[in-house]
Amino acid sequence: MTEILKLENVSRSFDGLKAIDGLDMNIEAGKISAIIGPNGAGKTTLFNLICGYLYPDSGRIIYKDKDITMLNPWERASSGIGRHFQDIRVFKKLTLLENLLVTFNDGSENPFKAIFGRKSRREMDKIKIAMKWLDFVGLADMKKSLAENLSWGQQKLLSLARLLCGDFDLLLIDEPVSGVNPDMVKVILKKIRELKELGKTIIAVEHDMTAVKEISDRVYFMDSGRIVASGLPDDIFSNHEIMESYMGLDNVA
Amino acid sequence: MNYLLHILIMISIYAILSISLNLPVGYAGLLSLAQAAFYGIGAYAVTLFMMQAGINFFAAVVLSVILSAILSVFVSYPSIRLKGDYFILASLAFQIIVFTILYNWIDLTRGPYGIPGIPRPELFGIVFDSLPKFFALSGTIAIGILLVAKKFYSSPFGLVLKAIREDELSAISIGKNVRKFKVLAFAISGGLAAISGALYASYVTYIDPTSFTLDESIFILSIVMVGGSGNLRGPVTGTLLMILLPEGLRFLGIPDSVAPNLRQIIYALVLILLMRFRPQGMAGEYRLD
Repeated sequence: MTEILKLENVSRSFDGLKAIDGLDMNIEAGKISAIIGPNGAGKTTLFNLICGYLYPDSGRIIYKDKDITMLNPWERASSGIGRHFQDIRVFKKLTLLENLLVTFNDGSENPFKAIFGRKSRREMDKIKIAMKWLDFVGLADMKKSLAENLSWGQQKLLSLARLLCGDFDLLLIDEPVSGVNPDMVKVILKKIRELKELGKTIIAVEHDMTAVKEISDRVYFMDSGRIVASGLPDDIFSNHEIMESYMGLDNVA
Repeated sequence: MNYLLHILIMISIYAILSISLNLPVGYAGLLSLAQAAFYGIGAYAVTLFMMQAGINFFAAVVLSVILSAILSVFVSYPSIRLKGDYFILASLAFQIIVFTILYNWIDLTRGPYGIPGIPRPELFGIVFDSLPKFFALSGTIAIGILLVAKKFYSSPFGLVLKAIREDELSAISIGKNVRKFKVLAFAISGGLAAISGALYASYVTYIDPTSFTLDESIFILSIVMVGGSGNLRGPVTGTLLMILLPEGLRFLGIPDSVAPNLRQIIYALVLILLMRFRPQGMAGEYRLD
């Protein structure tokens, strides 16, 4: 197996409290990994460490064989680590199309090019790519409307399209189906599976166990800042000890 | 007619100032109280380049723009991580420092005595010394800057700034070096403000530090607040309103002893009413929180 992301003995404390405690993790390329665990287990802290919004107190983070432990968040993003936030964070006053166009990091955003450059063919190509991804998530008809006019579920789809347009290889997806209606859940899960077929590696934090079972190739169970167990979804879900500690057996069936 | 031309020249100078401030305020979300400092840096730099070094006005403007843009980095780079109110304080500090230097570095700036006899701009033997000629110059430059600003706003650069304004964390998450973009926006803003200063100095032909005080910075910020930020209509509307409003008072026959005070009261009233009823300004699209 080829690993795209490796965490080696990573720790991070807040005021003496160990949020992440000597965590080791290997993420296989091209797979969907789900992280589950009780509230306060450190799942969001883990995401923030991978994205660079937090730095570890000790340990190393390796992405594509490169040590990224001390890189800035934007440097990690431009090397291919994309983040889908739990609270979405699309650019509300930008149109759908603009939300995607802004993801390109190709040097065209240089202010001097803004004055002297002309609308080039490259700009037209970018619009084509952006439209392709808007179409992928089924929002192409609304390209000119502002993102703030979308429903919650549609904003999640737009956020996914933004990750695709930005050409990220590793997607960190925080609660993709929380707070959306059942029909939209189906759409979002289908899109996430399609992302995998496009060769993306996905790490998802999700509380909806049905959704986790449906999409993930591997499940990591986190508690008190450590990976307590990991394995195939069926193995984890049939492990009574884990399930009991997480949510009580009744809810698992 | 001369009176009208004078008003138009002042409008073109303030339009450049408000357009320049619109970039950090309306696009990068950086509220700045240092715009009069860059205005003053431009005025003094052009004056000194022309009078001490004998450089032509237009070449001096280019040098002043570069100087002002570089100096802007001194305030933006260390303080850009500061959020909201703290950035305002940092810009306030810069404003006070620049004013103090202009006032006290007497060998260079003549301090409170000011610098008289600033030459008029000259290009290919044409001297812009009459009101119509000067307006032709300042109006052309203002319109040129308006067009450049329009290009800025619709370019990928403008789009990134807008994205940063909407959600900084999200902009970082798609790989944007937010700090770099903010420093750039602030430098461009400082550079543009220097052009206003250059026009002012060569128009009035006399400068002293009192034209570039904190009050002036607040006035420029008020223009952007009243007109609205985040697009081009806002600052232009604000400039027209804030320059024409006090001039209108002259025709009401209010005695000179009352007029300046009345003007301040009207400014304050306009700001309060806007805050209450239209926080995004008359024609703006961005609402500062």
